[in-house]
Amino acid sequence: MATTADTFQAHGDEHHHDADHKPGFFARWFMSTNHKDIGTLYLIFSIVAGIVGGGISGIMRAELAEPGLQVLGHVVNFLGGDGASFDQQGHMWNVLITAHGLIMVFFMVMPAMIGGFGNWFVPLMIGAPDMAFPRMNNVSFWLTVAGFCSLVFSMFVPGGTGHGAGTGWTVYAPLSTSGSVGPAVDFAIFSLHLAGAGSILGATNFITTIFNMRAPGMTLHKMPLFVWSVLVTAFLLLLALPVLAAAITMLITDRNFGTTFFDPAGGGDPILYQHLFWFFGHPEVYIMILPGFGMISQIIATFSRKPVFGYLGMAYAMVAIGVVGFIVWAHHMYTVGLDVNTKMYFTAATMVIAVPTGIKIFSWIATMWGGSIQFKSPMVWAMGFIFLFTVGGVTGVVLANGGVDDNLHDTYYVVAHFHYVLSLGAVTSMFAGFYYWFPKMSGKMHSEFLSHVQFWIFFVGVNMIFFPMHFLGLQGMARRYPDFTAAYAEWNHVASVGYAITLVSVGVFFINLIYAFVAGKKAPANYWGEGATTLEWSLSSPPPYHQFETLPVIEDHHSADDHISAKPATV
Amino acid sequence: MRRALESGVVRYKRMESFDAMTFGDIARKPLTFLTMAVAALTFTAAPQAVFAQDQAVTAPVEAAVEAAPADAAAPAAAEAAPAFEHYGPEMIKGQPTPGGIGFQDQYTADGSYALWMHDAILLPIIVVICLFVLGLLLWVIARYNRRANTVPSKTSHNTLIEIIWTVIPVLILVVIAVPSITLISRQYKSPPENAITIKANGYQWYWGYEYVDNGGFEVISNMMPEEEAKAAGEPSHLAVDKRMVVPVGVPIRLQTFGADVIHSFGIPSLWFKIDAVPGRINERVLTIQEPGIYYGQCMELCGARHGYMPIAIEARPLDEFNAWVMTQPGGTTPELKAAAAAAEAAAADSEAADAAAPTA
Amino acid sequence: MSQTATLDARNRRTMLFAFLAALGMLGLGYASVPLYRLFCQVTGFGGTTQRATEADADIAERFAASAGGVTYSIRFDSNTDRNMPWDFKPLQRTDTVAVGQRDMAIFVARNNSSEPITGTATFNVSPEQAGAYFNKIQCFCFTEQVLQPGEEVRMPVLYFVDPKALDDPNMEGVEQITLSYTFHRAPDQSSASEGEAES
Repeated sequence: MATTADTFQAHGDEHHHDADHKPGFFARWFMSTNHKDIGTLYLIFSIVAGIVGGGISGIMRAELAEPGLQVLGHVVNFLGGDGASFDQQGHMWNVLITAHGLIMVFFMVMPAMIGGFGNWFVPLMIGAPDMAFPRMNNVSFWLTVAGFCSLVFSMFVPGGTGHGAGTGWTVYAPLSTSGSVGPAVDFAIFSLHLAGAGSILGATNFITTIFNMRAPGMTLHKMPLFVWSVLVTAFLLLLALPVLAAAITMLITDRNFGTTFFDPAGGGDPILYQHLFWFFGHPEVYIMILPGFGMISQIIATFSRKPVFGYLGMAYAMVAIGVVGFIVWAHHMYTVGLDVNTKMYFTAATMVIAVPTGIKIFSWIATMWGGSIQFKSPMVWAMGFIFLFTVGGVTGVVLANGGVDDNLHDTYYVVAHFHYVLSLGAVTSMFAGFYYWFPKMSGKMHSEFLSHVQFWIFFVGVNMIFFPMHFLGLQGMARRYPDFTAAYAEWNHVASVGYAITLVSVGVFFINLIYAFVAGKKAPANYWGEGATTLEWSLSSPPPYHQFETLPVIEDHHSADDHISAKPATV
Repeated sequence: MRRALESGVVRYKRMESFDAMTFGDIARKPLTFLTMAVAALTFTAAPQAVFAQDQAVTAPVEAAVEAAPADAAAPAAAEAAPAFEHYGPEMIKGQPTPGGIGFQDQYTADGSYALWMHDAILLPIIVVICLFVLGLLLWVIARYNRRANTVPSKTSHNTLIEIIWTVIPVLILVVIAVPSITLISRQYKSPPENAITIKANGYQWYWGYEYVDNGGFEVISNMMPEEEAKAAGEPSHLAVDKRMVVPVGVPIRLQTFGADVIHSFGIPSLWFKIDAVPGRINERVLTIQEPGIYYGQCMELCGARHGYMPIAIEARPLDEFNAWVMTQPGGTTPELKAAAAAAEAAAADSEAADAAAPTA
Repeated sequence: MSQTATLDARNRRTMLFAFLAALGMLGLGYASVPLYRLFCQVTGFGGTTQRATEADADIAERFAASAGGVTYSIRFDSNTDRNMPWDFKPLQRTDTVAVGQRDMAIFVARNNSSEPITGTATFNVSPEQAGAYFNKIQCFCFTEQVLQPGEEVRMPVLYFVDPKALDDPNMEGVEQITLSYTFHRAPDQSSASEGEAES
């Protein structure tokens, strides 16, 4: 960590000495109260979870590369089951899809977006010295880690037909109650409790920080859009996660304590669980993508050297997406036996979301319009994001139609849709944000060349995985199937080859990381130049361990997003 | 890898032809299917025709029912039972196409409407939107890169354009909503009173088809092992040992029920999917337009063998359906039941009535 | 110093509000169980039938007189859970009733196993929109039934279709309403074993 100190010293010697006073290794990384350290922890955790979740998708794509069961038996053997048993192989498949979904949602995307980038840059962007509740911040992180451990542990204990929880990430009753005997599902549910509790604490922290700790002059309508996106996300978390917590707690009691909330035998209704789950689940998908929206806005403005077009429209489009996100949940349940009016309502309400989303897409393009665009790696990723997210968005409009969805529900078309908005949308925005801010966080420049190479390999790879899934879905291939009829073999094979290509791009990413830490040039305070106007660029790279001990004052300017002349009276 | 490249060439060619199909000729493609269907029909109908002449069992719904033929029905049906032959693989209509990139051909009126809505409205709209966004991005890249445009403009608002890009998507959505709402209301049409009621019961991990209007027998349908399916010329993972035989051209009141966990009864080529939920029944009307075999699968995660409980529907003309019903234990038809009742009423103490009763 | 103190206080207050909001949502999550049931009962959502008193039925019958004798076909459907060794069937598959007219359906349940079993029933009607108009005056739903081995009981349902159905555009084209019952093995089998002790 000497480099950090060096940079800091280089930045100016008028700095107060204890601004860079760091605790010892254990205290710094295990009892951390520093938002930047916690952000780093979240990012590292998210990369680890991403490797696990991505590894699981590798097993799945290997299994699906050819018809028949080739791989699952080995996985069962590896995890200590009877690999020759057909039922255990089928169950293992369900365990893998469940783990992949839960890990990617709760332990990869959310920790990276909110925990990682949110923790790192929200305080910096609003000119705050730290988060409002630094200790609670640390609790949030370790709860998430504990949740991950509980989920991984669940794969090694009995869960019905074999080891692990094979319920799908949705944990629908009664498959998750009477349908899965054994502690695995309890551990998986408990992992959601832990991760959920961590996220609720985190959301509270963000809301408090953003409401109360903005630097003088930093009004809500002057906040960078990334901060707006995290604010909206925090509210979604705060209002949606408790509903999930209630639903899965009822699952636990149904499983273990004889209650019958979702058991028809005792007067319960399994459909109610689905309503509760998706009341959480739909805001959850916006939780995963909104911070991405925020990052893309920052990046596009930076590299176009223009303020974001329609700043207020952008901010309130996110608020609108958040609000509407709460009243569309049953479009995930079109086939459960909704009555005609309910189905029509949810069709109409769901399509409404396309409007604010369209505003965002067009505003990004308008931001670039007339700009002086520099194609640095974050910008390339951001432009890739816009296109891929558009593709994912329009298939969402198709699926929104209840009548059309009757044929597409639970097929690969749905898989393609949500991977285009998440795996291609959210993850692409995460890479964009990562390359945008990595030198700021580490003080080391990554290789622009490798970042570009990674982008193009990634772009080809993920499209090759997920575009054919549209075809498979239209042809009727069901989700969550380990095996398929010969007619689906060709596109599945293409998708599996696409996975291999994507894997190469991930390899390039890690090479780039190693390069940056070993041979990367030292990053200046503002390495992107003129277009980067938010407050974090007024600090050294990496920023001092404690920043803004005297709050910066944001001067009133004609443009909402133009904070370049903010005078950081740094420490 | 090499294999992938090689097949990639083939796939490319296929894609072109399917493209043409999706955008152009949406009309039912296979004339060959029709000719095959006719051939198969004549083949299977030949014995049926003889059968139909002297049995009331196969009489159409409208036919006047008399008591007398019912007497002979029971033994005759039992005798004729082996005469029923299931369709062979040449009658398969609803199944995925290798390398296919569009929906399966549709064999219900609602399915055709939905397919039209997707192919003629939704797909063009979403393709145009994607190309439009892509075009704008490319234009921006070409025109506003740092070399082409060194001084960025400072525009950050334009109320008119913001209104335009709010209103136009709304209008597009309205264009989509009209057929969408129409489609939903068509799918929710209630079945007429005399629709034939069949229940699809989902079990871990097979389907049971209960013919409640035809004597209440239940056909248990399991997936056919892969070798057997191949030997029978049917697609593996979709073929079943006992198909769900249904009448063609008449409305079916299809009710679903889940006996243990939630399953979902989905047939892609009929645009039909409804969950089978424990503790309640769901109901939709299904009218299949052509005789044939239609494959489907369980569409809601239901445990270890979720991927191994396919559905195979065999749609037969009503008289053949009735003939099939008579081969099932306790199978009967409404006409026959009415006939039995009439016979009973006419000659309560006669031997003939006694003979007819067990079939009712 | 005083500034940081007020910031701390403000932070705590914001946090309190946030936690209250989260707690409120948690409460709503649990409250959704009774609320959902209530919502279904009031609106007939998901094909939930209505409960009616004899007095309601009398009123309906009088209204029905002016409706011109429209009839509905009623189908009776029966299911049992997989782990339920009962034979459960309606005595009659279908029936035709005039709107507003009271009618009785009888279901027969028989315990085919060699042990006494407690069962509970759930029900719904389809199409879903008919739930709001399908009134039961008396039925066996949710009351626990204990059947001794081989015992058979006849269970009556007294019902009528509300004449208001005729005014609902969603009910247009509905010719047949299915009343479906499912018998489950009750999670709590204690009453069954008690019954055994008594007999």
